[in-house]
Amino acid sequence: MSSANHRWMRAAPLAAAFLISANMSAAQDADIARAWDGRPDLNGVWQAIGTAHWDIQDHTAGAGLPEMGAIGAIPPGQGVVVGDEIPYQDWAREQKQRNFENRFTEDPEIRCYLPGVPRATYLPHPFQIVQGTDKILIAYGFADTIRTIQMDEYDPQPAPIDSWMGRSHGRWDGDTLVVDVAGFNGQSWFDRAGNFAGNTLRVEERYTPLGPNAMMYEATIEDPNVFTRPWTIRMPLYRRLEDNVRILEFKCVEFAEEILYGHLRRQPAD
Amino acid sequence: MNLRHAVLTSLAVAASMAATPAVTRGADYHHVHLAVPSPTEAVAWYVRHMECAAVPDRDDAVDCGVEIHFDALITVGASPGTGVDHIGFAFPDLASKMAELERVGVGGRGVRLQRFDDGSMFRDEPGLFIHGFIFDPWGTRIELLEDPSRRGFHHVHLSSTDPEASLDWYRSVMGGERARFREQLDGLAFDNVWLFVSPHPEGVPPAPTRGRAVDHIGFLVADLDEAAGVMNRLGVAFEGAPETGRTSARRAFVAGPDSVALAVVEPGWAGRETSLVAADSGPIVPAEPYTAPRTPWGDPELQGIWTGDRAHGVPLERPGDLEGVDTLTPEEAAARRERGTLGSIWGYEREWRDTTLGLVGSSPSTQVAMVIDPPDGRLPPLTPEAQARAGGGRGGRGGLPAGPEDLSNYVRCITRGLPGLMMPGIYNNGLQIVQGPGYVAITKEMIHETRLIPTDPRPPLGANLTQWLGDSRGRWEGDTLVVEVTGFNGRAPYRGSGETLTLIERFTRIGPDLLEYRFTVDDPSMWTRPWTGMFTFDRDDAQYELVEYACHEGNYGMTNILSGARAQERAAGDGER
Repeated sequence: MSSANHRWMRAAPLAAAFLISANMSAAQDADIARAWDGRPDLNGVWQAIGTAHWDIQDHTAGAGLPEMGAIGAIPPGQGVVVGDEIPYQDWAREQKQRNFENRFTEDPEIRCYLPGVPRATYLPHPFQIVQGTDKILIAYGFADTIRTIQMDEYDPQPAPIDSWMGRSHGRWDGDTLVVDVAGFNGQSWFDRAGNFAGNTLRVEERYTPLGPNAMMYEATIEDPNVFTRPWTIRMPLYRRLEDNVRILEFKCVEFAEEILYGHLRRQPAD
Repeated sequence: MNLRHAVLTSLAVAASMAATPAVTRGADYHHVHLAVPSPTEAVAWYVRHMECAAVPDRDDAVDCGVEIHFDALITVGASPGTGVDHIGFAFPDLASKMAELERVGVGGRGVRLQRFDDGSMFRDEPGLFIHGFIFDPWGTRIELLEDPSRRGFHHVHLSSTDPEASLDWYRSVMGGERARFREQLDGLAFDNVWLFVSPHPEGVPPAPTRGRAVDHIGFLVADLDEAAGVMNRLGVAFEGAPETGRTSARRAFVAGPDSVALAVVEPGWAGRETSLVAADSGPIVPAEPYTAPRTPWGDPELQGIWTGDRAHGVPLERPGDLEGVDTLTPEEAAARRERGTLGSIWGYEREWRDTTLGLVGSSPSTQVAMVIDPPDGRLPPLTPEAQARAGGGRGGRGGLPAGPEDLSNYVRCITRGLPGLMMPGIYNNGLQIVQGPGYVAITKEMIHETRLIPTDPRPPLGANLTQWLGDSRGRWEGDTLVVEVTGFNGRAPYRGSGETLTLIERFTRIGPDLLEYRFTVDDPSMWTRPWTGMFTFDRDDAQYELVEYACHEGNYGMTNILSGARAQERAAGDGER
């Protein structure tokens, strides 16, 4: 991204910036856990609560796969998109609609593919932050997904190769961890409703502590080939407080093999 | 210059010089210099497959019409991409030669065929020749062409940003005559040996030949001092002073166009005394016990990117032919790593391997085997129960896979298990350690698996919470991170281990850039006693960044294996009918 774009992206969500700073002042000095260097201590197991994994926009309850009955039904939820509107370009709005219609077969999550950013954050699985001295690792419960956030030098370089999870560079803005993520392969969705971006996606994430056990997560999403302007999602993340809480394995490949390879079995299921 | 034997070299040159006055200021084609970990293995390969002749009193050269010299170097990549794309050999009947080479296979010191896009091993270029391409096991690309009238070394094919300028340079500096091979290929003729030049296939300046599979090519001159004078007038200077080798004949180097290293030798040059030139001389283990630095919160600091490349090729158990051997020689170690004895996928292109891309700074481990206890380097005897299991066989499987479950967890991109995922492989050997207070996160690049290891005292997971990689809990003992792993689901066995496995791992930084990894495998249902293995990781923070090994997402192999199995079954069914 050019530096001009960078400034533009920072300046765009004015309302959001106002809200966040209000939140930050509420938590300031109070009870934010601090790391060795005085920065907020984000170590621990976290999880989003809500239905953003189903649909990041406002959505009413809906039917899922019929054979799953009420278990498979889609719970209603208030959206996490600021203003609720995703500013798709015309072609992309049509693509989103096609994705939605095919969501129970085409969603990369069904296939156990790496979830991308920001989707990894609000999947219905916990994730763990390990805050090192020059890197911050985020290990997600879903599919052994990780991101390594380079903290030693804030000089976002183009990723050497595109990837599902992109390349993350982080810096501190006061008590907010700001992460610039780019270099995506464009194959990820944002939710089970088919919202998506392309491989020119750039995400700026902001993790702002609200206290010892919660932080506000905000992601500004920019893709000049898919959207008409940057837009933002925002939701709180909560610390998992159970004793001995751990990220358990969710190696989901075996759960997706029937969908991916069932037709190649010697005796395919009916 | 058709140099049938080393002893004929000077005679042939003299004849040529007399016949062609122009080359009195030039040179004749003399040798190709290949970098290989084990010259003796390379000699055997070229004698067997390229029908070259051994050179008397030389264990590091063959005579293929032109001499090929082998230097014991740990090479950093194949010839393509450099200014010397390939060398060419002629055979009278290419179809039978290629069929013979195909039968050799790629395993071990084999032959890698480079097929054409349509899958054929060779093709006819009308009016020119029938030709095909192979790689030798060390990365030299070889073109084989059909010529009923001769066999042996045929040409060197250069890659250049400006082929015309290159040919002019070689003609003016080294001699030879501008000519067209079979009225089609522009080149320089040195008697029966040709120098061809093509544009670099990717349109970029070629990489330097030095350190790559074809390290340099050599030309013969009558006298180096005279040659120096001629070359100086052409604006070409020797790089460094001429040196002598096994004989009093001298050699000097000049830089050719397109970063091609060129040797100029006097008659009688018979190579240097060979000795392995490794990237370093082995792990630097301090005499004093090393004390690891501490994290700001006081734990021993293991953070960084480490690679297992040094240990790639070290077998788990001591091989039968290495009884009583303490350590390998560096040359043996380099040759072993090239072979990759740790269950690697044989015959992968050198370009696939981290160790041959020039990015691995560590020299190969000279460890004979990973197992250090029992001291004989062999796994302890199986329990009677395990022997009975082995005798009964696992039954059923064999043959073509009926579905994905019949393939390994690794092929399915589920997991490499423990300690399997820690083991070095031929590529994507990165191991990233990030620490936070109370946690060590170990990420292995290969198929992307992350171990989140708590180091504070805490109870294990519930007995019903078994996992592929079990439950890792750590503690610090001095400088050592000790990790105890239990709670395996038994579905990713290591050498037969099961749910009753307890794995104890010890990570100790024994130098600034060296991490020792010891693993003790204790599964009383499998072995009559615990056993311990050890190898080391090297820190490689400066250049290494983990890449996303999206294994499952790109698992075309699975689709191809299963659809191939179904196709074979259909073919067999058709055969029966």
